[in-house]
Amino acid sequence: MIIYKEKQDSEEKLLNILNPTVRKWFFSRFKEFSLPQLFGVTEIHSRKNILVSAPTGATKTLTAFLSVLNELVDSAEKGILENKIYCVYISPLKALNNDIEKNLVEPLKQIEDIAGKKLGIRVAVRTGDTTTTEKSAMLRNPPHILITTPESLAIILASIKFVDHLKAVDWVIIDEIHALAENKRGVHLSLSVERLQRLSRYTARVGLSATIAPLEEIAKFLVGSETRDKDRGDKERDCIIVDVQFLKKMDLKVLSPVPNLIETEHNIMHNEMYVLMDRLIQEHKTTLIFTNTRSATERVVHHLKEKFPKNYTENIGAHHGSLSKELRFEIEEKLRKGELKVVVSSTSLELGIDIGYIDLVILLGSPKSVARALQRIGRSGHRLHETTKGRIIVLDRDDLVECSVLLKAAIEKKIDKIHIPKNSLDVLAQHVHGIALEGQIHFDEMFDIVRGSYCYENLKRSELKEIVEYLAGKFISLEDRNIYAKIWYDEKTGMMGKRGRLSRVIHMTNIGTIPDETGVKVKLGDRIIGVIEEAFLERLSRGDIFVLGGEVYEFLHARGMSIQVRASPQRPPNVPSWFSEMLPLSFDLALEIGRFRRLLGEKIEAGKTKDAAIEFILSYLYVDQNGANSIYEYFREQFDYVAEIPEDKKILIENYRDEGGRNNAVFHTLYGRRVNDCLSRAVAFAIGRTQHKDVELGISDNGFYVASASKINALAAFRLLKAKDFDKVLSNAIEKTEILKRRFRHCATRALMILRSYGGRTKNVGRQQVSSMILMNTVKRINPDFFIIKEAKREVLEDLMDIENAKRILTRVENEDIAIKEIVTVIPSPFAFSLVLQGKVDVMRIEDKVEFLRRMHKNVLAKISLKQGKKLSAKEEKEIDYEEVWKNAEERKLTKEEEEKKELKIMVWNLKRAPLFAKQEIIDIIDGKKETDISEEFISALRKYRKEIEKTWPKELRKLVFDRVRLS
Amino acid sequence: MDISKNIKIVDLGLKIGKTLILADLHIGYEEALNKQGLMVPRFQFKDLQERLEKILKKANPDVIVVNGDIKHEFGRISGQEWRETLKILDLLARNSKRVILVRGNHDKKLGPIAKKRDIEVVDEYEIGGDDIKGREGKILVVHGDKETRLPKNTRTIIIGHEHPAVSIREGQRTETFKCFLKGKYRGKELIVMPSCNLVTEGSDITKEGVLSPFLKQRLDDFEVFVVEDAESDKIYRFGKLKNIR
Repeated sequence: MIIYKEKQDSEEKLLNILNPTVRKWFFSRFKEFSLPQLFGVTEIHSRKNILVSAPTGATKTLTAFLSVLNELVDSAEKGILENKIYCVYISPLKALNNDIEKNLVEPLKQIEDIAGKKLGIRVAVRTGDTTTTEKSAMLRNPPHILITTPESLAIILASIKFVDHLKAVDWVIIDEIHALAENKRGVHLSLSVERLQRLSRYTARVGLSATIAPLEEIAKFLVGSETRDKDRGDKERDCIIVDVQFLKKMDLKVLSPVPNLIETEHNIMHNEMYVLMDRLIQEHKTTLIFTNTRSATERVVHHLKEKFPKNYTENIGAHHGSLSKELRFEIEEKLRKGELKVVVSSTSLELGIDIGYIDLVILLGSPKSVARALQRIGRSGHRLHETTKGRIIVLDRDDLVECSVLLKAAIEKKIDKIHIPKNSLDVLAQHVHGIALEGQIHFDEMFDIVRGSYCYENLKRSELKEIVEYLAGKFISLEDRNIYAKIWYDEKTGMMGKRGRLSRVIHMTNIGTIPDETGVKVKLGDRIIGVIEEAFLERLSRGDIFVLGGEVYEFLHARGMSIQVRASPQRPPNVPSWFSEMLPLSFDLALEIGRFRRLLGEKIEAGKTKDAAIEFILSYLYVDQNGANSIYEYFREQFDYVAEIPEDKKILIENYRDEGGRNNAVFHTLYGRRVNDCLSRAVAFAIGRTQHKDVELGISDNGFYVASASKINALAAFRLLKAKDFDKVLSNAIEKTEILKRRFRHCATRALMILRSYGGRTKNVGRQQVSSMILMNTVKRINPDFFIIKEAKREVLEDLMDIENAKRILTRVENEDIAIKEIVTVIPSPFAFSLVLQGKVDVMRIEDKVEFLRRMHKNVLAKISLKQGKKLSAKEEKEIDYEEVWKNAEERKLTKEEEEKKELKIMVWNLKRAPLFAKQEIIDIIDGKKETDISEEFISALRKYRKEIEKTWPKELRKLVFDRVRLS
Repeated sequence: MDISKNIKIVDLGLKIGKTLILADLHIGYEEALNKQGLMVPRFQFKDLQERLEKILKKANPDVIVVNGDIKHEFGRISGQEWRETLKILDLLARNSKRVILVRGNHDKKLGPIAKKRDIEVVDEYEIGGDDIKGREGKILVVHGDKETRLPKNTRTIIIGHEHPAVSIREGQRTETFKCFLKGKYRGKELIVMPSCNLVTEGSDITKEGVLSPFLKQRLDDFEVFVVEDAESDKIYRFGKLKNIR
């Protein structure tokens, strides 16, 4: 059973269990017990499973270790300290492990000083960095406390000799469990812990977590269930939850660098943002700035140094995952010594590495989830009972609304729910192999071990069977089997075990869940200037211009895993910056934003005055007058333009034709990127199926759009989607996507079909040169539903995207709890604008490869014939439809005129002071609106502001408009 | 489709008179992947056999020239790979009067295998005289991994080695296809053949750097001939490479 512990223990009770030496030591260092200690120590002492949730700096780790140290010191003093591992501590970060070691070794020394003798308690870290010598020392003399990572734990579990030291572990402590539970590393760890539990039956589990929800689910993830009881079925293990999440006082604000977020030019805004940041930094002792991407981290450091050379020299640093271990360590050291004024980080400083004293955290842009915001902001005032201070700087109006609502949720303690991956078949394959390496085992027992993990509680026997058969090489003809098979499996007896001399080596050198998304090196001559993702390379063609590290480059060619570029500073990039790094908005927060949109929208629709609306904003959100004003203006513009404000109960579909004449349908679905990813692909798929054309799509947190050269009826396509068969539709829709290919490769690597390290070599280049598509096609030939393909799809749909919540939205649409409105606009409405700007992300492939080839060939012929100004010779290509060729050719001729129109329209959109109705009128004029149809209001406004217009409008635009209304 | 005078494209091969040229079969490619730790199941041999049978039926040649790299690797090879190579050689021999292997960079230890089936191994192969109507010069078939002295009177050079493929792009969509290339090399006509390796399309000349010394030059004006796929052996003329890029 999972229960919350509501009442803390008395100080006496705690004192009673503490060994006198430990007690003495404790009070030589601390005044009193902290709250987490009063709640947790006695439970851990009595070997209960427990989850402790508290903010960073709330002495969580000491809570966990106090009982452990107590036990070890007590045993040592009594001379009954055994030669075994008492406690296994696991954290996701090597850096954190080193911190923890230091924080244990020091107290142990102090305790020994108090005791007046050596106690012989050993602490050791085992990670990928541990040397062979250190490992053999551990084997001879096991540490009493073993500090490790999930990956190293799995390796230890598969090593024949070391396992002997794991047969009577008292505690397993999982630190930062919130950061593990939401990805496959956590899934992997959950199975390792089950395996550990099989070795040491009576291990108690201790989970330490930052702010997260729901805690019950994290607790289940921590403890899993007992499945050995055949008669009475599965039994959930007990767990106590200690929740001291909101001890710290919070001082949080959303700041906008300029009073008006829409009218301010980009460079001014940019400048003001740095002025604001500098001011905040200077007002505080040490500031930690979080950006959402690694590249932004570098950019911020660069600009701060450049703009304020006197303020920032050696006292500023960047800290992110792409930097070397040494560089990161150096920054951490400097922070601890208080030598830095400011440090800029992406995600790497979110977790509990000791970074000394921070008194202000600045978030640049939305952190996209309440839990993450609290985690980041919690890095300031790193001591219990101290106030945490956070400032979120917003740069556009969507960001302003989002962050304001986020702040409200943070203050009102509405934490977004975590998603824990379930039934990951690739990770399972690794562990089945690992368990088989431990010794012969029956299928039923294997099944029981696996289902002990919360992540596999609903696993089907058939799913495990498929994996066992895969590992045994059943999918391969008998003669080739020996190179594939890693285990043997006897179907008659149900027994399985290790197969092949290399089986254990392969296991030890290839396990883990973090995909090595091997970066592609970008070279300028011989110099490596950076790394791009493989997926980005797939999108590049020769001559493409793209941005890397703030510089502009032209792509020349690729060879293996590196590409050649040349600097191309003058040309604008034509490939949008890849945003796979972008954090998705959490679903729960998205709904809160939608709710706010609804509440404010109702006020505006009901014709409430500006003052009343602003009063509402001020009472509902924690923003200042400026912020409230900006939000009001934003909503007002949207309402004035299209009379509709999309919100949580209203999806708006906005159709418009862009400058290229393509038909776009913008869906205002504010449900977060993960849900929109599902909805957009399904809509595009539905359109594709009915029209047989590739449809391009773009996705954001606030909505998505689909675009096509032909007419599309997006509403009808959306109506076709039903929650009940959504799984099938989406599974088909992602079948040919790049993302599935890439995830397939990750899964194949985890399932040990692609071996990173084999035959004594770590091969990278050779393997990477084989397109993942080829690999996937080969596997499909074994079985289109092969478990690795199934898992890749599950990962895309459930972990990367959010099919569950997408279905929830569809159900609400079916039940008419969410209304749908459709409108047509000439230029995108204000709410649609940033959504449309972000560029296409994918294309839904409907045509097969051959049809595509044929169509493209026709296009090429058309191009050639146009250039040569003659018809194609009938002899060469009989099947060409000439009419179509010439039609295509004519369309291409039009582009010059259209280019001009497009440029004019951009000018219109950039006009600073023109009201929306006027902009629309001008757009119509550009599109050829009849003179007689031009509104009087517009013409009189033109007369009135003529002087200003002559000064500020671009000449071409002015001439066109004045000519048409005969004012020139 | 004729790619040049008297030179016809037949699926992945070229036919000149009664001579069929194939390039880069790379038998054992999957085994090599296996050795690198990529545990792909093996389908290549069966696929290759079927594809070759189709080509042979259509071309009905007297002479077959394999323009290099019949085998992917000649390091340690298993008995099974050995058998597969012999089977392919037998297939070629059964369907022609004469089989000639042009040495490729992967073919260092071709000797024993060729000897076993009494097959000629040469560094380059010239076609002229009887194979071509008229007398407009010789056609030189060479693998293309290193430059070579061109015999007098050479009209066309045919190379493999490069495994050319092109990616065709529209908006966000990109697809890669095997292709033939036709251009110039030292004033002579140069034809580059796609590989018969069915596991991969090859290397994408629209984005990847080239391997062959014959191609270390501006390729903008090279003409591209795209091979559709296994189902049909249609060839599409895509014009100059610069128009695709």
